[in-house]
Amino acid sequence: MSIKFNIDRPKISDQEINKNKNFNELVEQFKQHSLKKANADKSWWKNKIIRYSTIILGITVICSVSYLSIINNQKNKRQAISTNQSIKTKNKAFIQTPSKKITIPNTKYKVNTNKNTTILHTSNTKIKIPKNSFVDKNGKDIIGDVTIEYKEMLDIGDVILSGIPMHYDSLGHSFNFESAGMFNIKGHQNNEPVFIKQNKKIEIELCSKNNEDIFNQYYLDTVSKKWNYLRKDIIIKNQLSHSIQNKNEIKLNEILSQSKKLNTLKKEITIEIPQKIDSVNLVCNKSIDKLSKGQIPYIPIKSSPDKPTFKIDGSFDEFPELMAFKNILFEVGAENKNYSKEIHEVTWSNLKIKQGTIKGKNYLLELSYRNKKEKLIVYPVLNETDYKIAQIQYENQLITYQKLLDKRLADEQRLIKEMETKQKFYLAEIKKKEAAYNAEKLKLIERYNLEDQNELANNFKSLSNVNRTTRLFQISQFGIYNSDCPHANSKGIEIKPIFIINETKKSLKPDYIYLINHDNKMVYGLNAIEATKLNYEPNGNYSFCIFHKNILFICSKNAFNETIDKNNCQFILQSLPKMSENIIEFKKALEI
Amino acid sequence: MNINKDFHHTNEQLNDELIIIEAAKLNPNHFAPLYEKYYKKIFNYVYQRIDCKDTSFDITSQIFLKALINLPKYQFKGVPFASWLYRIAYNEIMQEFKSKKDLQTINADISDLRNICEETNELFFEEYLPIIKKLILELNQKDLEIIELRFFEKKGFKEIAEILEISEVNAKVRVYRIIEKLKKSISKIKV
Repeated sequence: MSIKFNIDRPKISDQEINKNKNFNELVEQFKQHSLKKANADKSWWKNKIIRYSTIILGITVICSVSYLSIINNQKNKRQAISTNQSIKTKNKAFIQTPSKKITIPNTKYKVNTNKNTTILHTSNTKIKIPKNSFVDKNGKDIIGDVTIEYKEMLDIGDVILSGIPMHYDSLGHSFNFESAGMFNIKGHQNNEPVFIKQNKKIEIELCSKNNEDIFNQYYLDTVSKKWNYLRKDIIIKNQLSHSIQNKNEIKLNEILSQSKKLNTLKKEITIEIPQKIDSVNLVCNKSIDKLSKGQIPYIPIKSSPDKPTFKIDGSFDEFPELMAFKNILFEVGAENKNYSKEIHEVTWSNLKIKQGTIKGKNYLLELSYRNKKEKLIVYPVLNETDYKIAQIQYENQLITYQKLLDKRLADEQRLIKEMETKQKFYLAEIKKKEAAYNAEKLKLIERYNLEDQNELANNFKSLSNVNRTTRLFQISQFGIYNSDCPHANSKGIEIKPIFIINETKKSLKPDYIYLINHDNKMVYGLNAIEATKLNYEPNGNYSFCIFHKNILFICSKNAFNETIDKNNCQFILQSLPKMSENIIEFKKALEI
Repeated sequence: MNINKDFHHTNEQLNDELIIIEAAKLNPNHFAPLYEKYYKKIFNYVYQRIDCKDTSFDITSQIFLKALINLPKYQFKGVPFASWLYRIAYNEIMQEFKSKKDLQTINADISDLRNICEETNELFFEEYLPIIKKLILELNQKDLEIIELRFFEKKGFKEIAEILEISEVNAKVRVYRIIEKLKKSISKIKV
């Protein structure tokens, strides 16, 4: 087929070319390719050798572990029985839900990581996830869908059912939290946990039932089993109605997305400064590479009088170590079983020298003449006179090399320090910019709220009484977060409560005991295993919520008051099996 | 003949490019400046050889994807990054021609053909046009590519050698032979 030959064919316009440019799509395709490749790499299992080796290894490990565990079991059986009780107490989970029948459900949301996503939870809480926010355990970007699991605890009932401890220690003092809302958020992809990428933040606008401005934000460290203070709570606004809130939200988002200052700061934080950090690192590595490495001087070796040597005329350009010495000789190595003196008698027409069996130590000498070929392993050596001269040269070179090496190390350290200083500067810059970003955002939000107040005031009367407050969390890791106000533990009257079931008049040893302070909207989780003492304020408003074998027992506010009025410590419990299975009924029973 | 300055970089420019490449090896998002810089050039290079605009855009996307995938293997050889991209582009186009031969096309401006003619120390006349066209159409794929790179895209021999994975001397010799052939053909007409 003949090839078309066009002369002066019209060119495609720049505009059209630019229209087809799409770098994001390219990166996306690249990520998908990487993912496919990674999945293909996983198919190592298809390799028979690896598969069978793994099976054999697996069986061996299982057999060994079983054998060892049987032997250990027999040894430890007696000890185990005696210490069983204490282990039970020690291994008690940090977060323990009191009932298996009523739990706070986890809501799952599928999130496309390629897009900015806003999740609207049933409580009207918003979860804002910027695109490309997740990495896997190896720090690699996650692409595709991620499942976000979210649950929130907005009142005392939720807090009790969550099993999350509300105890807080600070500077040696014990406190208990009053919560304005708590949530647990986590993410995973294909049952593998995902993590929030560095420099990315997920925003949770928690729709709190409490509208007071006395709370702080805390993060529950489940490893060290304590709450960590994060910051003062950020209240965005009081919600008066879902519809107005949504309307305002859209308007606010518009304002935020149009803010040049915010966009510039965001670009600097997420793209420009990280790029500078990478570049500084690269430049440092390149500069280190460029530093003169010097050449370790070659050690001269003296010839052995009892071993035959060759002298070869020619250039050894390929081997600088041979060029380093004058009058170099090649000593025939003892490993040459084929060596005979006849080799010296042939006038070899061709000679090649190659790297030998030990790099830099010996060489392979290939000799040929017509059809005759010989190969010898030879060692470069010097005769006595040349050796002495070379030895002096070597020592001088060694001193020079050592100086050069010291200089290089010092230069390397200097460059690394410079790089670290620059990187620290950039990291500080990111922090500064983040603070500026948050401040600017809050400023805009506040300004927007002020501007909006008049409009809201007009709508105020016609709205329902749903009065909720939005609390802003900006999180950089998954986990449990809480908007809390710590209250010092009561030092009032101390009692050791005994619980009596009203119907049977029998005493009850509960599995879980919660003292509810209705004045502060607080829950004290009491230790049900050890004999519990507790303190209460005489004028306070309390009740007990108890779980035993998944059945709810309540000592109501009145019943509690009656007991303490009598200076008694026997609290009468109402068994509520019907209310033990439904979260709404459960909350009714709590009188909250 | 003027050499296209796009393909000639100062040491500083080369170094800047190298820093971006190293950063892009770690994070594909850093590839953006190179994509921006070379997209149009690579597209034009492809479109110069292919008779379909859409296919040219598709191939250009493929070229950049391949470049990004193979970036960790990229080694700096003293020539702009573009040369490496052109090499990928050349291979991609050849691959495409294997399955769709009718896609291949040669596109030249009249000024390009004038350049070829002037290389033979002859003045350009309209009547030479069919001879030059015939000569170009008779060239084998590699020689055709050399002519296109040298005269239509005005690249230096070093870049041509880098793109086609031949030695610089080889590139020069091939061009010289083609020009000699053309000279002979033109002289026949003149007689």
